[in-house]
Amino acid sequence: MIIQFALSAVFLGALVWTWRRFRQQALRRLEAFVWSALWLAAGVAVWWPNVTTRLANLVGIGRGSDFVLYIAVTVLTVLVLHLHVAHDKLSREFTELVRHDALKDVDRS
Amino acid sequence: MKIVAVMPAYHEAARIGTAVSHVRVCVDEVIVVDDGSRDDTAEVAREAGARVLRHAVNRGQGAALRTGTDAALKRGATIIVHVDADGQHDPSFLPALIAPIQRGEAAIVFGSRFLGVRSEGMPFARRVLLFAARQFSGLVLGISRRMTDPQSGMRALSRDAAMQLRWTQDRMAHCSEILRMVSQSSLAWTEVPVQIRYTADSLAKGQKATDALKIVWQLLVRSIS
Repeated sequence: MIIQFALSAVFLGALVWTWRRFRQQALRRLEAFVWSALWLAAGVAVWWPNVTTRLANLVGIGRGSDFVLYIAVTVLTVLVLHLHVAHDKLSREFTELVRHDALKDVDRS
Repeated sequence: MKIVAVMPAYHEAARIGTAVSHVRVCVDEVIVVDDGSRDDTAEVAREAGARVLRHAVNRGQGAALRTGTDAALKRGATIIVHVDADGQHDPSFLPALIAPIQRGEAAIVFGSRFLGVRSEGMPFARRVLLFAARQFSGLVLGISRRMTDPQSGMRALSRDAAMQLRWTQDRMAHCSEILRMVSQSSLAWTEVPVQIRYTADSLAKGQKATDALKIVWQLLVRSIS
């Protein structure tokens, strides 16, 4: 019961933070809805674990917690890869900036 | 023909002076790219007669080579040679490296450690790793199987090749990226034997076995970005 309340508080906080970021125009409406759906789904899974078990059975997995774990690992892997790609792009732009600075005094003589 | 040597350098104050002096006699101009060193690399290189450019922040060997190559092109180079700043590359091989471009036989020439001239002090583990890298390069990266040295850092490029090959790997993966680009291009290339002198210093600072994994990762990330 304690973990259910604790996780609910975290998800509620995340929900509030999501819409605050939307108001600050850091998130688009669609993104805010997707994040909200994620937090609400997490809340449902915490209070009604049978829902995840039923979903797990639908796709041939025995336990609901395993279903949540598989989804989490997949999503996190994609997110980590996405972060690496974003970092790589940023790094390339940074290099271009450093290069531009290094080359600014090169003359042709 | 204006031949310009590009030497990327990071914390090489102890060795860059000698390296520049030795390379200078073989080329018309030496450009050292100080890749964000916090020691006296830039000053020592300048005193040795190099034109010095400076990366405000360390961006890696591949990035420094690209900057130096762009500078060489800007200064009218017709042939550009890439040489390490730590003195590993023996400059007496530079004329042989440049010759195929001068004769119009190739647009890019790679120095290879595996064409008969035995490199001094190359550890056995490095030899095994390079053999594995060559197999990987051929099978996975599509690099020509005729290329014998998968991590050759000593190369000469014609002006056209330097303009055409826009490598973007900032760090160690640039060697593989260049080989891959050349393999997939219509540029005429060749390899000549070169000798690399491994010393305790250069080995301590040079690539480690684990760097192979980093190179694979860098190529993988770039392939999907």
